[in-house]
Parts: sequence; C-alpha cells; structure tokens
Amino acid sequence: MRRYRSRAFVSAMLTAMLVLAGCSGGTNSSPAGDGQSGGQTGNPGSSAGGGAEQVTLSMHSWRVEDAEGYKKIIQAFEAENPGIKIDFKPFKATEYNTILNTALQSDSGPDILQLRPYAPGISLAEAGHLEPLDQLPGIENFSKDVLAASTGKDGKVYGVPLSLNSTQIYYNKKLFEQNGLSEPKSWDELINTAKTLKDKGVVPFAFGAKEGWLLSLSHGVIAPGTYNGNAFVGKILNGEADFTSPEFVKSIQRMQELVPYFPENFVGLDLNDTRTMFFTEKAAMFINGSFELEGLQKMNPDLPLDFFPMPTDDGKTVLTTWVDGSYAVNAKSKHKAEALKFLEFMASKKFGELFANEFKRISAIPGVTTSDPLVNKMAELSASSSTPYLMVVHFAEGNPTTKQTLENALQGMYLNKLTPEQVSQEVQKSAASWFPTFKK
Amino acid sequence: MGVPEREHVQPKRKSKARWLLHLFPLPAFILYTLFVVYPILSAFTYSMYEWKGIARGAFVGLQNFLTLFQVEPFNKLFWNAFGHNVIYFLVEMVVQNGIAFILAFLIYRKIRGAGFLKIAYFMPRLLSVIVVGFLWKLILNPNYGALNTFLAKLGLEEWAKPWLGDPDTALLAIILVNCWFGIGFAVLIFLAGLQSIPEELIEAARLDGAKGITMLGRIILPLMMPSITIMTIFTFIQAFEAFELVYAMQGSMGEPFHSTDTLAVYFYRLAFSGSGGAGDVSIGLGSALAVVLFFIVASVSAFSLRVMRKREIQH
Repeated sequence: MRRYRSRAFVSAMLTAMLVLAGCSGGTNSSPAGDGQSGGQTGNPGSSAGGGAEQVTLSMHSWRVEDAEGYKKIIQAFEAENPGIKIDFKPFKATEYNTILNTALQSDSGPDILQLRPYAPGISLAEAGHLEPLDQLPGIENFSKDVLAASTGKDGKVYGVPLSLNSTQIYYNKKLFEQNGLSEPKSWDELINTAKTLKDKGVVPFAFGAKEGWLLSLSHGVIAPGTYNGNAFVGKILNGEADFTSPEFVKSIQRMQELVPYFPENFVGLDLNDTRTMFFTEKAAMFINGSFELEGLQKMNPDLPLDFFPMPTDDGKTVLTTWVDGSYAVNAKSKHKAEALKFLEFMASKKFGELFANEFKRISAIPGVTTSDPLVNKMAELSASSSTPYLMVVHFAEGNPTTKQTLENALQGMYLNKLTPEQVSQEVQKSAASWFPTFKK
Repeated sequence: MGVPEREHVQPKRKSKARWLLHLFPLPAFILYTLFVVYPILSAFTYSMYEWKGIARGAFVGLQNFLTLFQVEPFNKLFWNAFGHNVIYFLVEMVVQNGIAFILAFLIYRKIRGAGFLKIAYFMPRLLSVIVVGFLWKLILNPNYGALNTFLAKLGLEEWAKPWLGDPDTALLAIILVNCWFGIGFAVLIFLAGLQSIPEELIEAARLDGAKGITMLGRIILPLMMPSITIMTIFTFIQAFEAFELVYAMQGSMGEPFHSTDTLAVYFYRLAFSGSGGAGDVSIGLGSALAVVLFFIVASVSAFSLRVMRKREIQH
C-alpha cells in the first residue's frame, strides 16, 4: 500500500509539472522555424550556364489557402522577367509570426515577406529587418492612410500594401423590398428600418455577442457614424479627444440602442449562428467584413445580397477599412535588386487586377476593378470615403489590448453589467496604460 | 526467499545484467529531461526576465510576479480566474465524484448489466475534448440546441436560457460537461478501490451485524480511502489546469465577460495572446503565472496527500 501511495504522489507532482512544461514548450519550439527557410537564396553556383544569371527568390506568406492563386500571379511575373524565379512558401497563419521572426533573427529570412499590418509589422522595420521602399516606382500611387499600415516611426515606407478589408452592413435586398425599405441615410432611418422589419416578423440584425471580436468589429462600423469619421480619429491621435469624449460614448450608447433589434438570446450566439440566420434569409441585416463576402455567396448563391456604408450624423457615409497586409523586402536579402523588381510588379495595376479577380478581395491599388460588383463598390467607397477601423489600426496594443478591452466591456454591457459610460472608461483606462499621447 | 541464494550462485553474470538494466530507462529519461524537466526550469528563468515579443530582455527579478498581483487588470483577472478554478474543483468533487461513487457502488453490488454500464460510463472519455466541446455547444445552443428544444417540448420555455452566453450559467454548464466527460474515469478508480477490499473483511463485518449505512461508513469507505485520496488529488489537479473545454467552448477570452476564465486560459492569453497574432505577447507574465500555478497545484496536492493519508487504514 505504501508504495502505491508514494507512486501516486509522484505522478500527481508530475502532472502538476505539465502545466509548466506546456508553458515554455511554445517558446522553445520556435527555432523549428529555421529549417523552413531552406530555399531562400538561389543556389549561387548552379546558375546553369545559359547567359543570364538565374535567381530564385523565396517569398513567405501566411495565406496557405491562396497558394494556387499566387502560382498564377507569379507565372505572369516570371513570363516578363525570365531571369527571376519566385518560390512562394505559405505557412499556417497562427504560426507565421514565430517562424518569420525566428528566421529573421537568425539571418536566414526569405527575400520577400508578407508583413502584418500596423504595429506588429512595423516592429520588424524598427528592428532593422526591412528595406525602405520610398523610392519604389508605383508606391506614390497609394494613399497615405493605406501606406500607414507599413510606415515606420521614421516616416519611411517598408511595405507594398496588398489588400484592404472593409466592414459594412450587409442586407438582404429581397427582404428590404418586400417591406418597402431602402438603404437608410441616417441613424434614425436605420432604427426605423429595423423597427419595420421587427414589426413584420423579420429579425433585423443577425447579431451575436458570444464572440468578442465581432463586437469590436460591429462597433467599428457603427461608431464612425456618431463621430463623423476621420476628424475625430485625428483628435484622438493627437490627444485633443479621448475615449470618454461624448462622441465616443454616444457610439457605445448606439450599440445598446440596437439591442431590441437583435435576435432572441443574442448573447449566446456566435458567428456561425448569425451567418446562418443571414444567408438562410431569416435575418435582414448582417454587420461583417469584406472577407465574409465570398463565403456568403458560396453558401447561398441566390442570396439577394448588397451592403450599405454607415450614414454619419453630418449627412455623409463612411466605410470602415484597414489594410490586411503588405509585402516587404528583407534588408539582408542577397538578391535585393530582383526582390525590389517583384515588389514593383506588386505595386502595379496589372498585379492589382490579377489579385482582386483571383481572390475576390479589395486590392490596395487604387482604380482596380473586378468582375464582382460588390467588391467594386467596396473598392470605390474605400477610395472615396474610408475611415480607419480605429481599434485595429491604432489601438491593437497593450496587454490585454485596448481592442480586447472594448470587446470584453461591450460583452459586459450586453449582459447588463456595465453602462455605456463605464465601457468608455474601461477603454480609456486601457489606452492610457500604453498609448503615448494619453500616457503623458 | 530463494532469490538471494541464486545470486550467490552466479554473481558475475547477474551483476552485468543488472548494470545493463539501468540503461533501459535511459531513452525515456533523456526524453523526459528534454521535454519536461528542461522546459520547467526554463519557465522558472523566463519568469524573471523582461520580454519583448519572443526576444528576451533584461533580468527583472520578481517584477513579473509583482505585476501579476499588484497591477490592474492583471490582479483582478488572476483572482477572478482563481475563484473559477475553486468552483470547478468543488462542483466536480460533489457532482462528478459523488455520482461516480454511487454508480461504482451499484456496479460493485453486481446489478444487472454491470459490465455494459462500466463501458458505457467510460465512453465519453474516449472522445476528443474538442469534439466533446463542439457537441455540447450544439446541444446548448440557445435557439436550436437540443436542450432548449427539449425544455420547450416539455412546456418549460421559461427555463430555456442562452446557457453558454449568460455569465450566471456559463461556468456551471462547462463544469457539468466536464463532469459528464470525466465520470467514467472516476467510476473505474472507485470500482478498483471497492474491489480491492478483501471479501473476508466484509464477511466478518456482516457477521458482526454491520449493514446498510454502518457498513458503508465504517467499513467500506475507510477501506477504500486510498482511491478516494487519488481521485481527490486528480480532480484538484484537473480542475486547476482546466483549459481545453473552456477554450473549445468559450474561446481564449473565457467569454462571456471573463465569466468562464480559468488560470490556464488566462495563462494562455498572457503568454501567447488570444487575439490572433495582434497585441502584446507577454512570455514573462505568462511564465510567472505558470510558476504560481505550479506552486498552487504542487503544494496543495502534497499537503492534502499528507492529511488524507492519515485517514487511510492498512489492511
């Protein structure tokens, strides 16, 4: 018996240790990334003697699902540039950062790399891993807002923006027409639209509060309507306004004003539930991102789908957008000239059109049109009347991030644990812990 | 008793074989050191450093621990999660182990179909935790889930709730799913304890006139104390390391509104950041939390083992 017990004790202790093992396992395993960058430098000696030197560039990305599409785009480039071959290597999105960081730190990074937008990507430039691209032909065509996703604190541009995401209110055209409704032009009209739908027995908004990220996403759509887009963003950034300002508090109050128009038990619904409600035509409106478009069209090809941008209180409309990623050149690449040539291609309209049609996404290159009218509408609006997704573009830092704080506080509000004022105070408190202008 | 004599007969051969014997655990020992002991020690050192992303910065001593316990929101989140772990443990002890004991006792008394029941209770354990989480998410779905539909059929609509979306019910819902998942294992442990009680002791007690509650409380329970000890410790460790089900059903934020957060989920969020790559990763704080968790689990396990051991009877 005694032996049995002491053995049990040992096994209990060992089980306890596993939690620690689990902890540091993650950081230890990162060097595994080293092996991944195998083919990054084209074999210097083996340039089969055929006149021009053959160079192979390695290119890393987190879009495994896009590998096929990239193949076509790369072929178009290689046809024009016979001396250059591109080896496209995607990694799992959740592991990409670790793999890339490790490779860059051990000087074995790829020649061309996909750069996370805003703070996480810019930190690579600040660590000296990236080549500045201010002189790249074509870079001047991008607007400053778009370039901000890959501009360092030194003011230099380090990445060619690839695509934009936008968030908007999708709606079911048939359900709107049946109830004599049209796209709302103001907040009051939006509330009236929702009211009419509810009276007719249609769920106005397919909305769920179970997944936090969808709350900050929806707030990102609603809020610019109350603070009238970019002017207020500028004030926040230079410290003239903060998250307890009346415009911002109002945006939280409006999130609460929508509650009667959400489905039953919405606090327990997740994205799957709400998406299904929308494409099965049980709900008329769905606040979500451009990245949902392809999925919605696939799940129900007959869905009479359209979207409208957010009407502002000063009578305009805004579309919330942010850059989804950029491409950069490794400062330590052995074939910088060739890599820059590829990036020049990525900044061209030809690439933009290939990309937008291949992936049904909004190209970051201005003036690109696709075969999908909704993508075109998103692209036009993001060129003419865009406003940044504040939480992603400027407030995705801190621990927990200010964005996560907003998500959690909104969840608290929907559960009647916080008032809109308390939500904005929580957000301000989080931002003040790290945001330089608020820190003082 | 014949063994030492034989050793005298062929001493040389035997000692060589003995020496070789020590080599056999070596591969396991190396793997164990590499993947368990070394990471544990490195977590201890990690917790004493400042971290920028995955790059280690300056040595900061106990700063990470101070931050964890003194700075908002870290301290609030810690105690919030800690409280949930305690509830996790208590509910599992009462519901999971309580029911498991009754079931084990029924099987022990050889009711009809005991063999089948033993397997049936253990079945959930064979499923992946992620599958269990997904399955119960469907059952508990507020608008088309089986549970609410069932309540509506019974005419109890007002009892229907968004079980996983309401902070008053979400944690309990997850713990009960965990009980459902873990009950088979507890039944097996208790059954083994019951079956290890020598038949003659029960017989002797019965001849002395013990029966019913007296038999259970005075004879059977004390005699199966070792398995109760083990099960308690297991439940404690499992409750304080609860992660998978919470993560599978409520995500890495312990949603809604941190009402299902546990220390392990909080650790995951701190060390690897929950929001898909964005945000600050804080390996230092995460490691500090892991170290704290290690000491909680190790010390309470050791202490309760000592206490409960005294209540065990040798037979």
